[in-house]
Amino acid sequence: MLASYKLLSKFVDLTGITPEEIEHKLTFAGLEVEGVERLAYASNLVIGQILKVENHPDSDHLHILQVDEGEKYGVEQIVCGAPNVRVGLKVIVARPGAVLSKDKFTISKSTIRGVESNGMCCALNELGVDKTFLREEQIKGIEELPTDAVVGNENVLEYLGLDDVIFDINVLANRSDILAIYSLAKELSALFDRKLNIPEPKKFSEVPSLITCSSATEDCPQFSIKVVKDVVTKESPLWLKNFLMAQGIRSINNIVDIGNYVMILTGQPIHMYDLDKLESNNFVVKNDFEGEVVCLDEKTYKIEKGDLVVTNNDKPVCLAGTMGLLEVAVDSNTKNIAIESANFKGSTVRRTSTRTGLSSDSSAHFLKGINPKQDRFVLDLTTELLVELADAKVVEETVRYSVINEEPTKIECSVSYINKRLGTDFDYDYITTILNRLFIDTIDVDHDNFIAIAPAHRIDLQCNADLSEEIIRYVGFGAIKSQLPLMVTTVGGYTSFQEKRFRIRNLLIDSGLNEALTYTLVSPTENEQFVLLNNDEPYVIFNPMTIDHSVVRRGLVKSLLNIVEYNLSHQQEDLAFFEVSDVITKGSNYQELCVVLNGNKTVQGKLRVEPYDFYDIHGILEAILSQLGIEKNRYKEERLLDSKFYHPGRTTKILFGKNVVGVCGQIHPNYSKDIGETYVLELNLTALLELRVPQTKMAQISKYPSVKRDLALVVKKDVLVDDIIRCVKKAGRSIVKNVEIFDVYQGEHMTEGYKSVAIKITFQDDSKTLVEKDITESLDSIMNELYKVTKAELRK
Amino acid sequence: MKEKLQEIHSKALNDIESINHLEELQNIRNIYLSKKSELMSYMSHMRNLSGEERVAFGQLINSIKEDISNKLEEKKKILEEAKLQEKLNSEIIDFTLPGKSYSRGSKHPFNIIVDEVSQIFIGMGYQIAEGPEVETDEFNFELLNVPKGHPARDMQDSFFIDETNLMRSQTSPVQAHVMLSKHGVGPIKIISPGKVYRRDDDATHSHQFGQIEGLVIDKNINMGNLLSTLELFAKSMFGEKREVRMRSSYFPFTEPSVEVDISCFECGGKGCSLCKGTGWIEILGAGMVHPNVLKMCGFDVNEYQGFAFGVGVERVAMLKYGIDDIRKFYANDKRFNKQFNKE
Repeated sequence: MLASYKLLSKFVDLTGITPEEIEHKLTFAGLEVEGVERLAYASNLVIGQILKVENHPDSDHLHILQVDEGEKYGVEQIVCGAPNVRVGLKVIVARPGAVLSKDKFTISKSTIRGVESNGMCCALNELGVDKTFLREEQIKGIEELPTDAVVGNENVLEYLGLDDVIFDINVLANRSDILAIYSLAKELSALFDRKLNIPEPKKFSEVPSLITCSSATEDCPQFSIKVVKDVVTKESPLWLKNFLMAQGIRSINNIVDIGNYVMILTGQPIHMYDLDKLESNNFVVKNDFEGEVVCLDEKTYKIEKGDLVVTNNDKPVCLAGTMGLLEVAVDSNTKNIAIESANFKGSTVRRTSTRTGLSSDSSAHFLKGINPKQDRFVLDLTTELLVELADAKVVEETVRYSVINEEPTKIECSVSYINKRLGTDFDYDYITTILNRLFIDTIDVDHDNFIAIAPAHRIDLQCNADLSEEIIRYVGFGAIKSQLPLMVTTVGGYTSFQEKRFRIRNLLIDSGLNEALTYTLVSPTENEQFVLLNNDEPYVIFNPMTIDHSVVRRGLVKSLLNIVEYNLSHQQEDLAFFEVSDVITKGSNYQELCVVLNGNKTVQGKLRVEPYDFYDIHGILEAILSQLGIEKNRYKEERLLDSKFYHPGRTTKILFGKNVVGVCGQIHPNYSKDIGETYVLELNLTALLELRVPQTKMAQISKYPSVKRDLALVVKKDVLVDDIIRCVKKAGRSIVKNVEIFDVYQGEHMTEGYKSVAIKITFQDDSKTLVEKDITESLDSIMNELYKVTKAELRK
Repeated sequence: MKEKLQEIHSKALNDIESINHLEELQNIRNIYLSKKSELMSYMSHMRNLSGEERVAFGQLINSIKEDISNKLEEKKKILEEAKLQEKLNSEIIDFTLPGKSYSRGSKHPFNIIVDEVSQIFIGMGYQIAEGPEVETDEFNFELLNVPKGHPARDMQDSFFIDETNLMRSQTSPVQAHVMLSKHGVGPIKIISPGKVYRRDDDATHSHQFGQIEGLVIDKNINMGNLLSTLELFAKSMFGEKREVRMRSSYFPFTEPSVEVDISCFECGGKGCSLCKGTGWIEILGAGMVHPNVLKMCGFDVNEYQGFAFGVGVERVAMLKYGIDDIRKFYANDKRFNKQFNKE
């Protein structure tokens, strides 16, 4: 919200207090000043009068002016391009050396098409005044000063009323009262301990009113009308126009400007009806109207049940708190006005505003919350201004409807509570003095306990904790003593789940993978692809920003494939990424780990690279399972044959019982045309991390010698090596300590459709030294089993 | 005869001297020291000699034999050394070629900050609490003193799923979950890192971003405890010399509420472009837990007080690493992510 220094100083004594001091004090007291701007920027100005106008010989629009700049500077020649120059006109002259506007535009002596020019005649926008506040002719030409302007006056900005400083204050949700200049003045009065000067509005002799008003809904607990007659619409005086400009509002005419000015001062939006356009004297606020209305902006809006409307003769006249209807609006011919000051429930105004897309300064005030106890004051102030600035003659009595509890908010509090909360040791007098300065009255109970009475404008003050904040924001947080909590010792640390997840992430990073971070919200199309672990119904966002981020993802694979695509399109190749993230659907909430590999693995710089293949991605799976202590007998791995997204020959699914907890393999060529061969591992990390793993127990190392034997087997191509190993272990019983594959061969010298597998078996017994007979017997049963299960034969 | 022996001796030494290859050594050894060698053949003469002469002659032969043997050994060592040297010379490599790859990947800067902050607070006895990213209105707002229609709901325009569910717009609902799980019995010391979602998108705002929430509840917790905790955090995270200051602010779930600034770690507080000349950097929001929140989450406000704080993950990372656009966190450009491989 914008606040003018000059306007504030009308209501609180700010003598000797600089804008910088105000900025600092407000910011630390919770009213953050986000900007401090001057209304206009200019130096070296003087008021001059044009004595002579000649056409420039070399130009069709430039004029050569002789300008009287008063006794001190005399008459200067200035070349000027403005269309409105004429003899006798009083103008703003920027003398050589002048620095204008925020852009620091400097004026110097110059020669313009051969003619000397000693300065510049200015338009207001050249002094930094925002063009939105100026009329078209003010922008096209130079500013025309009144005839009584004093030639030679160098305090031009002061003369123009532009010597103001504007604070831009970030008003937080609890301090909506600050949207009123009066409240801000009170705040400054308290913070600087300066005198407040908010006058009571002038009272006029009032005549009885014929108006009646009421509300048919709880959403409008107060509604007041005051009629003022015989107003004259005209231009506002300069002081009012300047204040409005400082507050960022364009002057329209005196009536509209008064409405805005009252809202700026009091924070209460008011609405004015043309009394003569109203059908009856009876106002009722309702929330059950349905139909269409045309508002002041000449647009049509649909009103539904629940929207607040002000009705007159049972017809809507105002979309309550937001905007009036065109048919009853004041215009330049309006004579008699009904002024409304009401309290509409913020959440209802917000709902209507969100649905219709219509918002206004007024609705912004209501949805933040307003002081509910100042309608009489507001209407009297408006009346005073209408009498003063719009020649109003007849003033009627205020007509009120109110079910508001007029009692002030009382809060029970104590000095010890405040100190306990803040960790301070302030005494009773100190605390109550501060509260009193903040316009919070206090009643002493026992010199520790007291009752605080919140002023009407501070609707945020509700409980004793609020008072502790008032004290410390007034005193400043520098008064807080730093002291570590004195409490029982707690054991800090990760849970076992978090610890394991941390280790897995580090394992992957240390193995050369880059950790990724992607968006949880994806497009509906993406959410149908590569979701093998999760068939649940996804959450759909009701109010997405774009369709690309409109559903909650069911898996990470597509997100990581997008990373590959992004990098390839930015000439970044050889990609290895992983991410751990929550996956949440209507039926599940768990964490997923996803790895993607694309391009080449670096073996030694670019001297030796190897394309990533299935065994890279599977190696990562093996490393993760081994890190977690999940042994082969705890899970099953099967070919994934029935997914269109994965290569059927090079993809597996990992199962815990019947639950698929992972997919490992190659993206189907149909889905990797643009990115090339790509390998993916997707794991339900939660399932893996929650699997109970037995405590490690040391196994005895046999003291008897071991014997190694190599076998070269010939099997059909589709026999899995794992099955061979399982047969060897099963048939060889406990003396087979280890089985390793050291060669797989197919091709020349092999029958078509067959491969040769070379295995090394380690035999060892824990209780004796093995003799040749033991080995031969074991090998015999191994070969029998192998033949039975896999049709394996020894290679000849 | 003696002369003859000395002649053999000196010839042998000459021959040894002239050897150039290890292979020749055995040859020379055979010529001079084998049983059939000339030198050894003189041993048979010993029989014809008298006692003293025999001893002297024997000693002479032995000394010559020993000398030749020693010289052969020496020569062998020299030749072996030379051969090794030759081999080493032939094995010279270009040490500037790339090493074999054992290179580490990179942790994402978002998680670097989450992990680092977690470690700092774990060191102070905190535990890490996590909560769901799809939350209910009750936990995301109502239990945090933001009833329906509250103006603070405007501060964080949320992604709603339906009347009750939404993408959490803050990590604060985890506070409520933890408090309710404790059934009114303290102490609580947690931090809660996680992703949150708001309808916002520009260079400094992303519709998805990270927060780390902290909560301490016990019987005698005050604002001074909050200040010292944040001081410890700031020093651990941004350096020993960091100072902390608090400014009054507003959050519905804390009272008093503060914005917390730390002295600029770039200029030390003198003023620079990072701190926009102020010497201070706004880093987090905090405050004393609002009595309404404690009450709604089952704690007796006459017995318990607490403080809470929240810090933006990307904000900290952007400050620490000089990252200029929040969208860079989510693009996963290899050139960006890899820069953090030593963190």
